[in-house]
Amino acid sequence: MKAVSFSKESILGLIALIVFILMSLFIPGFFEQNNLNNMMFQLPEFGLLALAMMIVIVTGGIDLSITYIAAMSGVAIALMQSHGYPMLTAIIVGIIVGLACGLINGTIISKIGVSPILVTLGTMVLFEGVILSITKGSSISGFSESYSLIGNGYYMGIVPLSIIIFIFFAILTGVLLAKTKWGRSVYMIGSNPVATLFSGVNNSRVLMRVYLYAAMLAAIASIIMTSRYNSAKVDLGSSYLLQSVSAAVLGGTEIQGGYGKVIGTIYAVIIFQMLSSGLNLMGVSRPIVNVMMGVILITVLVLNFVKGKIEEKNQKTAAA
Amino acid sequence: MKKFLGLLASVVLVISMLAGCVSQESATGGSKGKKEGSGNDKIKIAVVPKLIGIPYFNASEKGVIEAGKELGVDVIYTGPTEADAAQQVKVIEDLISQNVDVIAVAPNDAASLTPVLKKAKDKGIIVMDWDTPADQSLVELSVHQIDDEAYGRHIAKSLIEKMGAEEGEIAILTGGLSAANLNTWIDAAKKELAEKYPGIKLVTDKIATDEKQQVAYQKTLDLVKSYPNLKGIMAFSTPAPLGAAQAIQEKGLQDKIAVVGTALPTDSAPYLEDGSLDVAILWEPDKLGFLTVALAKALAEGKKPENGQDIAKVGKIELWEDGKTVIMGPPTDFTKENAKDFNF
Repeated sequence: MKAVSFSKESILGLIALIVFILMSLFIPGFFEQNNLNNMMFQLPEFGLLALAMMIVIVTGGIDLSITYIAAMSGVAIALMQSHGYPMLTAIIVGIIVGLACGLINGTIISKIGVSPILVTLGTMVLFEGVILSITKGSSISGFSESYSLIGNGYYMGIVPLSIIIFIFFAILTGVLLAKTKWGRSVYMIGSNPVATLFSGVNNSRVLMRVYLYAAMLAAIASIIMTSRYNSAKVDLGSSYLLQSVSAAVLGGTEIQGGYGKVIGTIYAVIIFQMLSSGLNLMGVSRPIVNVMMGVILITVLVLNFVKGKIEEKNQKTAAA
Repeated sequence: MKKFLGLLASVVLVISMLAGCVSQESATGGSKGKKEGSGNDKIKIAVVPKLIGIPYFNASEKGVIEAGKELGVDVIYTGPTEADAAQQVKVIEDLISQNVDVIAVAPNDAASLTPVLKKAKDKGIIVMDWDTPADQSLVELSVHQIDDEAYGRHIAKSLIEKMGAEEGEIAILTGGLSAANLNTWIDAAKKELAEKYPGIKLVTDKIATDEKQQVAYQKTLDLVKSYPNLKGIMAFSTPAPLGAAQAIQEKGLQDKIAVVGTALPTDSAPYLEDGSLDVAILWEPDKLGFLTVALAKALAEGKKPENGQDIAKVGKIELWEDGKTVIMGPPTDFTKENAKDFNF
């Protein structure tokens, strides 16, 4: 009983591989350059938001304002660029705006101690309102040619640049979580904040950094999105909000906090991406795609839950 | 393990630094020109609405499917489940992978579709728009349901007709203050009133109703209270006429205040019945879907539409001088008598 077969993540990775092989075999056009490129272009923005959401969920929180943080920094970048500022300045300002949004979340959650779901629900509406009053609901355009290469260009003519950016931040997040003191504190806070506090960790500082880091990832996602879609708008990527929660949870992240891995989230994002592209290629209608994703999500969660229960039982019997 | 991670991180760092200098290299070079028949020779036409699952776009889907059957082409009608530009881009990217011949899109946000439509065009796919214009430099054809100017004027004229008087106080309700198409119609309607009916007085600026029937209802109640001499209301956006009519119905003002607006017939039937809504003016979305497919098929066969061309099931269309803009025809009046004949 001891050699615990596989971790949640490797099972998920296996599922991803199986889905990939099946789809390549049975869906015409799936294993073609064009579709593979498409998927690599579509994945980064969603992946970055899912990673951001994952980190927040690991602390036992949730960030409902994340897509609006992205939209906010996107609008900032668009405004800067359309007023003739150079690309780099615009991007830096965009990231700063994103961080400022994260700072608001972080301050209220970590210093004042209001529950994350309430705070981010509030800031979600707040950011939406701010963006609406700036843009009046219309989209802002006017990016430079070179800016559009971030989301649409290829590196060396083969690999989409955006996926490289995503891989970089995925590894960075992985290293930060697994190898640093901050990363360990993130997991500790998620599983038991009181014990963590009494073991000498500055909870509020750790939480603050979590929300800042999530906001930064959102800002990066927004750079990719605005560059890909050539415009910034209040509801830019709003459909990713709940999808990113789903991806994090499908990736094995414990919704009460304390557990969650970068690689699991990435597998989940890849699975979502393949299902969405593959089923579209087959011509399955969109609502049905949503139904299937919902079913898969629930199935995996129930399986995880049952597996956890069984292991718990086994441990108890072993102890007794 | 630690060493491995360190190695990985440094590799990525190096790569990302390299990316900084060589990222100008765009385009795969792997675009294989035209697709190779892909099995059957039927023309494949993809029609993308703003979103799926709302009555308006369900009605146009019917027209699209019908046209596919009648004209012998493969049609795909797919779109985002939310009116999110990002989702719509993905839908189009997946369509490009399916090697369709024509993509006709009703953009949620024209600017955000520009890169992906460019991509489609590079792959040899014919790009057109319908319902709402996309980037005009990219599309071969732009199918409009109506001539915006004529539509606005027609609504104003209908209001005067239903009021039965060429002078009096009227008000305008609109979906949102920044909606471009609504504003064009309202401006045209105002122009018509100013030019031909100087006796008509607009009591206040256009009133926003947030695309919600409930808000339109509330605002109409306020209007009726503040302007007891009000004789007519023009309501733009599909929920606004319903809300206005609801208020009129509740107050029993059917004979005193005329309401005309842009609503779907099935929704407005109960209000048309007792005259709280005098006439709903809109186009027939299923015909628009049909026309889109018919023109797409012609384009794929290398045929451009002509001014005054008669399209089966749709009627005579109008082609503007730019050679791109196609107008489906005059709007349809939905009244007490004919509203039941439509199923959208």
